[in-house]
This record gives sequence, C-alpha cells and structure tokens, in this order.
Amino acid sequence: MRDPRRPDLDRYPELQKAWDRRQFVKSAAVGTAFMALGGALVRIAGDDLSKEARAEARPDGRSRLPPGQRALDELRAMGGEEGSGDARSFKLRVHGLCKSPFEIDYAGLLKLPQVEKTTDIHCVTGWSLIGGLWKGVQIATLAEKAGVTSEARFVIFEAAHGYTANAPLKEATADAAMVTYRLNGKPLALQHGAPVRGLVPDLYFWKSAKWITGIRFVKTDEPGYWETRGYNNHADPWKEERYA
Amino acid sequence: MPEVAEAVAGATRHLGPGAILKKRWRAWLRAIHRDIGYLAVGFTVLYALSGIAMNHIDDWDPNFHASERTLTIAPIPDELGDAEAARRIADAAGLTGKIDDVFRAGDEVRVSFASGSKVTAIGTTVTVQLRRDRLFFRVADWLHATRGKQAWKYIADAYAVLLLYLAISGIFMIKGRLGLRWRGATLIVVGLAAPIGYIVLSGGPGAQTTERVATRPGEADPPKPAPPRADGITPLPPDDDKPAARH
Repeated sequence: MRDPRRPDLDRYPELQKAWDRRQFVKSAAVGTAFMALGGALVRIAGDDLSKEARAEARPDGRSRLPPGQRALDELRAMGGEEGSGDARSFKLRVHGLCKSPFEIDYAGLLKLPQVEKTTDIHCVTGWSLIGGLWKGVQIATLAEKAGVTSEARFVIFEAAHGYTANAPLKEATADAAMVTYRLNGKPLALQHGAPVRGLVPDLYFWKSAKWITGIRFVKTDEPGYWETRGYNNHADPWKEERYA
Repeated sequence: MPEVAEAVAGATRHLGPGAILKKRWRAWLRAIHRDIGYLAVGFTVLYALSGIAMNHIDDWDPNFHASERTLTIAPIPDELGDAEAARRIADAAGLTGKIDDVFRAGDEVRVSFASGSKVTAIGTTVTVQLRRDRLFFRVADWLHATRGKQAWKYIADAYAVLLLYLAISGIFMIKGRLGLRWRGATLIVVGLAAPIGYIVLSGGPGAQTTERVATRPGEADPPKPAPPRADGITPLPPDDDKPAARH
C-alpha cells in the first residue's frame, strides 16, 4: 500500500532525495532500537547466574545479589593507575592511630596468620563476582598486630599513585575483610591489583583498593579518590549507595 | 576561507563593515564551522571511540588483551636454586623469553619475564598470566583520561571549546523551516530531552545522599623506615591522626 505521506515523486522528482533520506533515517532509528532492545533481552533472559544468586540468601537474610547487580563468573578489569605488581618490592605500611605501627614485605605478610574466605564482591558499575575464594590476611589481624587504639573509627586504604579509599573500622575489620593476594588459588593479575589488594566485600568494590601500599587507622573520616569525585562515602551495595 | 572572503568582498564592496557583517554573517559562520569540523575529526574519533570503549569497561578490558591459564607440575623443592626452579617453571609454561626476576615467598615461586608475562608456581599449580596492549584503544583511553597529564589537559580543553563552537554555530547555520523556525528547534528539544528526561526519571544526583566529611590539608612526607627484619616486619614511628598528602 502506498504511504499517504509520500509525495508524488513522478510529479515532483526534486523531492526524491529528501524522501530517500527520511526513509533512511527512519530505518536506521528502528534498526538501532531493535538491536539495543534485542541485546538487552538476550542479556536478561540468559542470565541464570544472576537469577540463582538473587534467589539465594546470605546468613544475614539479605539476597546474595544486591539490587541493580548482575552476576559474572570472573573479575573484570576496571582500570586505574597500576602499581608495579612486583611482589619483591611490595611493602605495606600499617599505621595511624596504633601503638606499634609497622611496615611489612610480601614474604612477611605470608608468614602472618592466613585466612581463606568464600565471599562475593560487588562493583558499582553493576556486576558482582559470586563465591570467589580469597586468600590473605585479615585486616583485623593487622590491626591487632599494630595495636590500634580505641580512638580509631575509620580505615584509610592507601594505594599506588596516591589512590585512597575509606571505610568504617567496623566494616574494614569484619570477618571477610582482608588484604588479599590470591583468588581461587591463583595469584592476582596485575590489572586486579597484584601483588596485594584490599578486600572489603560488603562495600562496593572500589573500597577494596588495588595495588595497596598502606592501611591507616584514623579518628576522623577522610573521603578518598572516588568519594571526592561524586561516589558515595559509605557504598553499601544493598542500599545501592552508588553516588554521593 | 578565501572563496568566502572573495564572495563577501564582491557582493558587499559598497557596504561598511557593520553592514557586511550583518548581511554575510551566516556565510562566515558556516565557513568557520566547516573548517573547525575538519580540525575536530581526529579528536572526535579518538574521544568517541575511547568513550564507548570505557563506557563498557564492565564488559571488556578496553586497554589490554589479558589471558590466564593454569597447569600442573611436580612440586618445586625449597632447596632447589632459583635459576633451576625458574627453568622448570618456564619449561612447563612453554615460555622461552628472558627472565627478569625470580622471587620466592611462602609456597610461591614467582617468575617475571622481560616480555611482561608472569608465571607463578603455588605447590603443583602454575598460573601463566599474559597481557598485551590493545591496538589504538590503549593509547586512546590513555589520552581520554586527562588525570596526571599537563599539556594534554589544555589541548583537550581547546578541543572542548571547538566543540562548543560547532554546537552553537550549528544552531544558526541554516535559516527558515530547516533551521530554528521548525526542524532545527524540534531536534534541539529532542536532543535536550534525553539528558533532562534521564535526570528527572532517575532522580538526579540528589537522589542519594550521604554524610560527607570534609578533608583536611596534607601532612609532610613520613620518615624513612629502618631496614626490614628477618620476619619482614619493620617497626615504624607512631604517626598522628592526619591524612596523607593527596595526589
């Protein structure tokens, strides 16, 4: 059937180009929308990993997959200014409000009491890694060794090139919070913070500073790199505390 | 723009500068828009492609092709020398390049190759981590993020100013129904509707609030620590509750 809006091109051939262009723009718009919707549907329909994680409950009763997240089966590299990744030159300063601040190298870190925890992590960009087996040293262990004073309320994670991230002491010294150097039995890759990164699994993953160089205990909170660039100061994934 | 200048000169020889500008300003606007458009081609391609690449950073690594594989070997005895341990690990991994470093700690033997490849043996498991730059995107993404760059920050600012000119001059380039009187105005409204609509529907940046604590100025560099002890721990002097210097 002839489109009633189509001009009489036999009578006005000079309109042919304008009509062709209009048809092209329409087709391009419809095609783009179709592809975008199709892609989104394929992604949602085929995402069994997310469905399973969403249906499962944590011991505290919350869903294993926080709202607005999709589950992935491996870590994604999210950029950042990389550290050297070199275990030989690695040093971690544990300092701030503590009686016995210290600096420890990689071999020394491996001699401290080790833990292995199966835990989930959640990136603010919307993906989660469910059930990773992380190995490292609990931040609580480091805090105890440094003799953190009762004044300390917050932990500042310090990393390569001046990156910092802050977390309340209670969450940073929770059972699964650690400095970690191994995921699923393998060393961390450089893009994931090698040789050692922080891990505070119950906060969005930017709090788990890659290429960690220090842990500082402080009385007053200090918003870090992303927290001073529009991201949430606390970053609870279950409250979707993504932005400030 | 010599042809525009000639045309303007020919058509307006009898007019004063004010009258020339009034009569021919749209021709100048278009000519400058065209030339700035040419200037902006390289920047626009660079920023647009790297922008798309980084927008989807949760789907792919826009900077590197990274791969990881694991294999099993016989355990490396503690008493085996570094060179021999590295040779066994490199053979197992099938890597022949120059070895930069062999580092042992705990149950790990880490072998770093000059090529950037890392191979780590933990007990009987060897993990081979390889990485190489993505052509174009590694450089484009690096340029896109101006953090830590000096001159490039101002070059990027200049490009942004050129883009502003393209946007604003584009509004006035064509008169009549294809310009601001109908088509142009309609499309400007449609273009503005996307960000405004998103802000309204999402609640905007104020939708989530959190307590923000002001930062304090930085402190002096910490004193140099003493050499480490055999257990890898170096005692540090106590520091007070002040933030480290920001970078």
